[in-house]
Amino acid sequence: MQEQIREWLEQEKVDIFLGYKKIQGHPLPHCFTKDNLDETDDLIVGNARYSLEKMATKIAAEHPELKIGLLVRDCNQRALNVLYVWNQLRPDNIETISVNCCPSKLKEHGDCSYLEPEKAAPLKMMIGIDNNMDVEAAEEFGQEDRYKRWMYEFQKCLKCYGCRDICPVCFCKECSLEHTDLIATGSVPPEIPIFHLVRAVHMGGRCIDCGLCEDACPVDISLRLLYRKVNDIVSDVFDYKTGTSADQSPFNMLGEEVTLELKPI
Amino acid sequence: MDFKIIPSVCSYCGTGCGVLFQVMDGRLVDTLPMKTHPVNEGKLCIKGWNLHEHVVSDKRLTSPMLKKNGHLQEASWDDAIQTTVEKLKAIIEAHGPDSVGVLASAKITNEENYLVQKFARAVIGTNNVDHCARL
Amino acid sequence: MTNSIAEIEDSACIFITGSNTSACHPLIARRVFRAKEKGAKLIVADPRNIQLSRFADVAVTQRLGSDVAMLNGMMHIILKNGWQAQSYIEERTEEFEEFKAAVESYTPDKVEQIAGIAQNDLEKMAELYATNSPASILYAMGITQHTTGVDNVKSICNLAMLCGNVGVKSGGVNPLRGQNNVQGACDMGGLPNVFPAYQPVTVEANNEKFAKAWGKALPGKIGYTITDMVRAMIDGKLKALYVVGENPMLSDPDQHHLVKALEKLDLLICQDIFFTETAEKADVVFAAVSVAEKDGTYTNTERRCMKVNKAIDPIENTLNDWEIISKLSTAMGYEMNYESPEQIFDELTTVTPSYGGMTYERLGLDGLQWPCPNADHPGTQFLHKDQFTRGKGLFHAVEYLDPAEMPDEEYPYWLTTGRMFAHYHTGTMTRVSPHLDTEQKTGYVEINPEDAKTLGVNDGETVRLSTRRGETEIPARVSNKVVPGLLFVPFHFAESPANILTNSAFDPIAKIPEYKVCAVKIEKAA
Ligand code: SF4
Ligand code: SF4
Ligand code: SF4
Ligand code: SF4
Repeated sequence: MQEQIREWLEQEKVDIFLGYKKIQGHPLPHCFTKDNLDETDDLIVGNARYSLEKMATKIAAEHPELKIGLLVRDCNQRALNVLYVWNQLRPDNIETISVNCCPSKLKEHGDCSYLEPEKAAPLKMMIGIDNNMDVEAAEEFGQEDRYKRWMYEFQKCLKCYGCRDICPVCFCKECSLEHTDLIATGSVPPEIPIFHLVRAVHMGGRCIDCGLCEDACPVDISLRLLYRKVNDIVSDVFDYKTGTSADQSPFNMLGEEVTLELKPI
Repeated sequence: MDFKIIPSVCSYCGTGCGVLFQVMDGRLVDTLPMKTHPVNEGKLCIKGWNLHEHVVSDKRLTSPMLKKNGHLQEASWDDAIQTTVEKLKAIIEAHGPDSVGVLASAKITNEENYLVQKFARAVIGTNNVDHCARL
Repeated sequence: MTNSIAEIEDSACIFITGSNTSACHPLIARRVFRAKEKGAKLIVADPRNIQLSRFADVAVTQRLGSDVAMLNGMMHIILKNGWQAQSYIEERTEEFEEFKAAVESYTPDKVEQIAGIAQNDLEKMAELYATNSPASILYAMGITQHTTGVDNVKSICNLAMLCGNVGVKSGGVNPLRGQNNVQGACDMGGLPNVFPAYQPVTVEANNEKFAKAWGKALPGKIGYTITDMVRAMIDGKLKALYVVGENPMLSDPDQHHLVKALEKLDLLICQDIFFTETAEKADVVFAAVSVAEKDGTYTNTERRCMKVNKAIDPIENTLNDWEIISKLSTAMGYEMNYESPEQIFDELTTVTPSYGGMTYERLGLDGLQWPCPNADHPGTQFLHKDQFTRGKGLFHAVEYLDPAEMPDEEYPYWLTTGRMFAHYHTGTMTRVSPHLDTEQKTGYVEINPEDAKTLGVNDGETVRLSTRRGETEIPARVSNKVVPGLLFVPFHFAESPANILTNSAFDPIAKIPEYKVCAVKIEKAA
């Protein structure tokens, strides 16, 4: 792999390559370039996962012609698909090297091993929502119980916006979560459940279940589950499988052409 | 094109979360939590996530300033230092080193705090050195 | 902190008082939430209903400034039930009997009268803390910013020792430092009475050691604290003030008093990265660099010394704080020719025993927790493991005293001040940050719905707050976070400065002003 990346850089197949490098014992994202070819020997896959595609998006916004190489796990690839679909990245400018490690729910392979959340603590099992739960299990709670459990989770929210800031597919210039008409600002916890539901709704057709948001949530809210539910609906109603390919057109909520057909119920 | 990730520490509270600064073409563009940091394990609060914003603010001081005719005006470093030293020396001469007070900072580094108190004690010759942490 | 942040997760009981942890130290609050979910008991005592109160097994809103009474009351109950850690007390502490006699009179009934805590709540607090071990106490400025701040802290230590919680993993007495490098500033001797690593300036041997290291005779007399400095300025004894990276104009109590003091100076030098309210008053302003533009170390609240790394070049005409100080020194006739922060670090570790084993290389990205006295030492996760630093843990007999100012007819409300989650300190850095500014653009005063109704004040309406020291106009935020009779103002906002109102009466030992309590009048703005 290191060899191939070196070649790509030498032959200018890519201008930069985003991967990982160990710095003082920590696997950190790193940008490899032609100017420091020897560094490619230090490239690692790493046991920490960062959204390299979000970095690529940021770089491409300022350097649209740049050819960017990326180390991609499965989740990174799904995020790329969404970014292509939403015109945030141009597929022709992206080259990837895949490392297979992270099959996920969306691919119906069961949970990603890296991401498999820690076993839920006793109180969370009792009154909250276990991060390991799947949509079906969560729906088995009675309506009132379910509401209480979610509200317990939401009340912990520190309003760090980490779930949005880390998310590879949250790229809006103006984010609704900061819209004062929609959600009051200035206190923790934020207005609940509206804060979390607004984001959940936005994740329809976007969230690729990478789990980075849940990783970044300081209070362990079961965010993925929420977004999975939304995307189950999107899948059922629109037959749209978020992130599975770069060829599908997004059902565009802004009223541009809608090419997705409704599935007969 | 130049893109770098620099590990550092959030300076917005005493927790000391590990952050990664993202630098594009020499400009600070974003902050990320460091996933493997022992303090914050890949999470930050709202202040940490936005740590870069104050750094790139256009309200930052860009030059030393000196009061001339009752107004602060931009000055050169040499001027600013020289004027300060003359005044300080005169004050110490007239009123002794204990007429000078120095406030160290809970916002600067250990190295800098060490120098601040060394400056007060060895250079000015006073123990009138404190910081604002009481406040 | 005696213990470490990560250890909090494994506490069996966490007692939080005077710290709005989820707003001011969110990544420490994370550990509290996780501990709770793992089964820990949570006690929250704060004059306001804070976010964490909702998750507590028992949450009380004690009256402002009544902490000693509350803590003594808890200990009274613990002793009465025999829940104390008797063998720990006998082996590891002293002066227990004097202390015991002092808490004798703090019956639940008396405490209820002083602190307004229901007797059964107090009993529950005592029981939870004493019967779940290890138990950790977290506190912040809500404990220290009082005329009785030192007494408050002593009482907290009493409580922790009483139940054998000092020197054990996941226990301890854990002050959460507000500013990022308060710990480091103190460790480095940014205090009028001690050299680095808390070596008293009055001890001859220390003085000689530093005189030798620095090649200069040093003063042996204890200097002024910041509170003394303000008074000395008014008295005309302090003529020059060099302020590095601070904004006392907003952070000091009783702003009017401070303005008068600053105006009396012959020379005010201000060194900062922004043109602060204090810089406006300066004769010289030195432009320094920000966290992203410098190398160096910070020490967090768990004593972890960590490396910050230069990410970008400084703004053209600015200099590192260490460069500015070196230039000044050299111009004053004392040569400082450091080439890098690392060189300074290597010097300071030779005179700071607790940092003695640290080098930049060893710090890496994880840092090291002091004490780390030598090159093989792994650092120290929690303090006082087998014995207290001073040998035996000392109990203190502490009596409750009223705050310096309490509500009366003219100023009928209690006022307290503090932080809100999106801003930092005097707002100098956070208010220029677009995302943080979006979250909260203006100052506000929190007022209970009942009081708002009595006064006929609506949410968002401007009110005038006045105290014996000054007045300010500020929008009201009607909220159940404050109990009736209590008002809260965050101090980040220059246009509605909390510290126009606060009382500069201070603790006689720590010299910390009583920011957390004063009496105030509130009326609708005309
Ligand atoms: S939460 Fe919604 S509005 Fe905000 S960035 Fe994500 S998709 Fe955009
Ligand atoms: S799992 Fe979270 S971070 Fe990942 S795409 Fe979905 S919302 Fe974004
Ligand atoms: S990451 Fe968690 S705590 Fe932060 S805003 Fe999102 S849900 Fe709230
Ligand atoms: S990210 Fe938040 S909790 Fe962590 S150090 Fe910064 S301000 Fe403190």
